[in-house]
Amino acid sequence: MNLQIFVNALVNAALIAPPAMAFSLLFGVLKFPNFAIGGYITLGAFAAYTFNVPLGLPLPLATLGAMLFTGFVVWLAHVWVFKPMQDQSAVTLLVVSIALTLILESVVRLFFSADVRGFDIPLERPWKFWGARITREQVEIIACAVVLATGLHVLLRHTRIGRAMRAVADNPMLAAIRGVDAAKITALTTVLCGAIFGLTGVFAGLDLVIEPLVGWNLTIPIFAAAILGGIGSPYGAILGALLLGLAEELTILVLPSTYKIAVGFVIIAIFLLLRPQGLFGTAEIKK
Amino acid sequence: MSAYLVSMATYAGFFIILALALNLQWGLTGMVNFGIAGFYALGAYTSGLLSAKAGWPLGMSIPMAIAAGFAAGGLVALLSMRLREDFLAIVTLGVGEVIRLVVLNEDQITEGPRGLRIEAQPFQSLIAPENYPVFYLGFVAFFVAITYWICERIRKAPMGRTLRAIREDDVVAGVLGKNVFRHRIQIFAIGGGFMGLAGALYAHYSQNISPEVFMPTVAMFIWMSVIVGGAGNNRGLLIGAGTVIMFLEGTRFFGDVLPWLDAETMSSVRIITIGLLLIVTLRLRPRGLLPEPKFTYTKDKIAG
Repeated sequence: MNLQIFVNALVNAALIAPPAMAFSLLFGVLKFPNFAIGGYITLGAFAAYTFNVPLGLPLPLATLGAMLFTGFVVWLAHVWVFKPMQDQSAVTLLVVSIALTLILESVVRLFFSADVRGFDIPLERPWKFWGARITREQVEIIACAVVLATGLHVLLRHTRIGRAMRAVADNPMLAAIRGVDAAKITALTTVLCGAIFGLTGVFAGLDLVIEPLVGWNLTIPIFAAAILGGIGSPYGAILGALLLGLAEELTILVLPSTYKIAVGFVIIAIFLLLRPQGLFGTAEIKK
Repeated sequence: MSAYLVSMATYAGFFIILALALNLQWGLTGMVNFGIAGFYALGAYTSGLLSAKAGWPLGMSIPMAIAAGFAAGGLVALLSMRLREDFLAIVTLGVGEVIRLVVLNEDQITEGPRGLRIEAQPFQSLIAPENYPVFYLGFVAFFVAITYWICERIRKAPMGRTLRAIREDDVVAGVLGKNVFRHRIQIFAIGGGFMGLAGALYAHYSQNISPEVFMPTVAMFIWMSVIVGGAGNNRGLLIGAGTVIMFLEGTRFFGDVLPWLDAETMSSVRIITIGLLLIVTLRLRPRGLLPEPKFTYTKDKIAG
């Protein structure tokens, strides 16, 4: 077996796992698949680019700025768009979230042309070991993903806010009765997820390229990872991301790489049909 | 200018057929379909390939496009048995994307990104070329009228009531002895057939089809038409589709008035405007511009 396939799959998984966890969290509180994440990721990538290249900030600072900026925009979207519409059906909200992605993408296109861009970082030779290659940025992405996943775990399991987040996702009414400010927790979750999407935008810019469609192209893999791991289960999302990364890399061996995006869809379809609760989710009781 | 208006109206025709089909599937029966672009492509490529590569007459290739959409619709409907509607949305979007990817990659058959050239046009030899665009507009309008008529018939028939019952609560409809499974498959297949028809009409109008026309954004514009117009109401939908087409195509005139805007900027502005149109409409009128009328028990207006 070729080691490179596993390295690529691991990098892919590190890229997809954090937003898949965030998507899972967001689905827990908002109860609809939010396609706006594509727009948020694109926004994060371009915000970091603006801080990094035209303004000349070092990349870690630019990343922080991008996370804050994306978190703020996601909060605005929550207050102006999704909160007032919370009584609409899940499908209507889904259409609205796609519209939001199109809007954000077009705004980015207005300010930056559709040209492909990159961050201002020195080019380095990739490291080689046992015949596989990995770049410094890819190692950093993996390290950040591990830190982020651990951080989310600690937040959700061992803090008051995390417990409140899980309570609101589980049963908002009951949480409210027990004295949790559900609206505030929902807004907080939204902003936290927004910051993670902003960070994903930066990662995508490092590993892939910075272009307006970068977020849309990641949306389906993120959904696939979240559904594979069991929607609403942030830990399952990590395993989902690993399996998806591997499946995508293995497909390239037998099919033209342009079919890569179809892999995500096929996995989603198979899992939703055969095991809708995903690998780690609990079965939902249908009326 | 008038040639431009004729072409815009023709495109509006394709659009309205797609929107009517979606309203049948979602507005009336509550089945989600985000793969509209895929069905549209299926119809366009079925009729286009059969006439351009196999040399079939249009009298046979266009019905085949309808049949292909019908069959695909029936198959996709099987998914709706097991999936919650928001997940069905993702899966149908996937079906649409997979159809587009196949068209894009199997280029020895479909010509892929180079585009498929189709010579044949309906009644080509009978109409003078300078009158042909207007004739084709009439041809499309004829099919829009038929589609509208069939959709209204279904909505007003006893079957329409059953479909609304399935939309509101499929368990209750099933308990009342309605065959939910069969109705869902029928409606999805009929809707798929209409979408195939729209694709075929588009293929023989533009005479050059390529995968980039069938991006998921097409599905988005149709969804926006139905939501803005008011789901479940075919008349509201004409308003919705008209509004979206007006914003989509009408904003091209800005290019004449504001010459410093280039094509790239214009297309961005257009998409931002349409997106905002949807959000503003939903904020101000949550049920769309012309919502479905509430069911009433008056004797002469049973269809309500």
